[in-house]
Amino acid sequence: MKTVKLSILAGLVAGMFATTALAQDKTLNMIVIEGGDTTAMQAVVDAYKASHPGVTINLQSYPFAQFFQVAELRLRSADAGIDLVYVDAPLMASYASRGFLSEIDPSIDVSSLVTSAVDAGKYEGKQYALPVNNSAQVMFYNKTLFEQAGITPPAGLTAGQTVTQAEADELASTGRWTWEQVLDAAEKLTVKDGGRTTTYGFSVEQFAELYQLQPFGESLGTDVIGPDGYTAKGYLDSEAWTKAATFWGNLYSNGISPKSLGYGEGAQLFGNGQLAMFAAGTWNIPILSATGVDFGVAPYPYFEGGKVLTPTGSWYVGVNVASANQAEAMDFAAYLTTDPEGTKVWFDSLQQLPTYKPLLEAISTSPEFDAFPNNVFRLGVYDSLNTAKARPVTAAYGQLQDAFRTAFTDISNGVPVADALKSAVQKFEAAANRVAQ
Amino acid sequence: MSRTRSPLLLIVALLAPAIAGLVVFRLYPIGLAVSDSFFNMVRGRQVFVGLDNYLSLIADSTFWKSLQVTLWFNLLINPIQIALSLGLALLYVQKFRGVGFYRFLFLIPIGVSLPVAVIIWRIMLSQDGLVNGLIGMAGIPAQPWLTSEGLALYSIIAIATWKGISYWMIFIIGGLQNISTEIYEAARLDGASAWQRLWHITIPLLRPTLLFVLVADVSINFLLFAPIFMLTQGGPADSTNVLMYEAYKSGFIFGDMGRAMAIIVVVVLILLVIVGLQFRLLNGKQGAR
Repeated sequence: MKTVKLSILAGLVAGMFATTALAQDKTLNMIVIEGGDTTAMQAVVDAYKASHPGVTINLQSYPFAQFFQVAELRLRSADAGIDLVYVDAPLMASYASRGFLSEIDPSIDVSSLVTSAVDAGKYEGKQYALPVNNSAQVMFYNKTLFEQAGITPPAGLTAGQTVTQAEADELASTGRWTWEQVLDAAEKLTVKDGGRTTTYGFSVEQFAELYQLQPFGESLGTDVIGPDGYTAKGYLDSEAWTKAATFWGNLYSNGISPKSLGYGEGAQLFGNGQLAMFAAGTWNIPILSATGVDFGVAPYPYFEGGKVLTPTGSWYVGVNVASANQAEAMDFAAYLTTDPEGTKVWFDSLQQLPTYKPLLEAISTSPEFDAFPNNVFRLGVYDSLNTAKARPVTAAYGQLQDAFRTAFTDISNGVPVADALKSAVQKFEAAANRVAQ
Repeated sequence: MSRTRSPLLLIVALLAPAIAGLVVFRLYPIGLAVSDSFFNMVRGRQVFVGLDNYLSLIADSTFWKSLQVTLWFNLLINPIQIALSLGLALLYVQKFRGVGFYRFLFLIPIGVSLPVAVIIWRIMLSQDGLVNGLIGMAGIPAQPWLTSEGLALYSIIAIATWKGISYWMIFIIGGLQNISTEIYEAARLDGASAWQRLWHITIPLLRPTLLFVLVADVSINFLLFAPIFMLTQGGPADSTNVLMYEAYKSGFIFGDMGRAMAIIVVVVLILLVIVGLQFRLLNGKQGAR
């Protein structure tokens, strides 16, 4: 009995010491996706530590494919072992609606951030997450393959060129290819050998993903879901989306695009010279520059007669409601997203289009961004100001993303467009209604 | 021998680990699933909704389609697996030249873990894979094994069967070896043909083993998840969307645990009914003859 009492006492004393130690030295934990994002986050953490010696930030990184499930499970179980959360833009509403995220400290000044990006971090008028960066999509093309096929490539930025922001704006507003032009060129660029495609004419980076394909249908005039966030009938199965999905299906039935590309596989194909055109994020620039392929970069295409729309939105940072270190976590989130130093370290490491206005300004004006491939970011600046279309804000985003991916995967496998879209509408609405209740 | 002590304590002590395991790893999760199926997460709070999750399944066409796929899948895979395992087991106990090699060949799938087997099969069944190469030599055009609505479920049945039958074969061999050779000798003296011996001796005497294999196989196939998760994610057009995958998607992708647990409870109930029926049919007093 005595030993039990003694050990309880010892435990209490140790606990007291531990809490006093915590009051001085805080340790924050953050979940983040593996790869470049973790490297960049570590760089920001190191810079932050230099000015905040009492705070330690541990990064817990997960592969992209598992990150969402891990985040979902850990947030739902109110796991106090996470303070900061890396949040994908469209999932913000789902997290906020279920009370997973703390409201962002209103004293954090967000006036230096792009307004649309700040707004995408709001749910029912309250700020729940801060934008870490933005994203921009462009179309990479293999100059050698175009030359061999005797086809004129799209107007774009290439090695050896310098462009001002004004010239980049000009290219983006007047030199943009249509999807019809892309398909026409892609058919000629595709090389088949005995029924098997050896060189693909075109591919998107994120196979069947809403992020990548949202501009397809929306550029033809109909949003993917209704403004209430829970209706897809009349939207995803509309004439515009049927046309967009038919275009998508033809890419696969004609063997122009490779099916079911995994994460990073498109860049690999392009880098091997087996892919002529690649609609993908600017983050591929360092990867593709490291290969021997002579490539150019054109603006993201649109449908003839439709509106120019481009993918946008990226990762946010939020604070777990269950965290015991709210103030410290908020402080780091502010440093990461609104501090001149924090945002610079992040951009230098990850090369993603910023949401911090002074940095965007620097991209437009600094001579550092005159030459290829840095000047591709100037296309990104134009798009983010003029053509970027955010993904829908709905607490049922996960359901939408899944229904969309399933439908577009099925279409690429030959399921009739009308059936696939009808089934996606039905599945999304059934699942969304359970969230809406 | 004095009976100063009741063996009760000993019985309890000996059973305790097994019972504790049963409670912790079987009954508790089932209880948890049942209780979770009565709740929904609304704005971060667990809200008691009674039977709502079950009632909404009734009106849910995705659920019914998924149930249909699950039943069709099991209606095919279980008889196929058991018939093939029985056939393999009968071959296994024969004595002929090269039987050692044959035995080795059919024990391989047991040693390969399911995820590894699934990955290998995915490569073999891809558009440019081995299987399409082989049928190409016979002049048959390449087939979209895992990506067409009409073939995907059958491809999964084939993979699961390849992986499963050797395992069940082992149990049936055990059962076969329990049958006394004298019975066969007596039958042979009476002039029974090989076919008659199989039908009137082997199968009736194998019944306890077959019952076990049937029940265990049906349970495993009802709960089969990995190949679908790894190969088709329920597609194309929901043709492989079994209830286990639908529940997984609901719970772990959409965060809708209430619906996921309601589906799981339905699966468990269906399984209980099927297993109950199997026991009745195969344990019946009078046999097939």
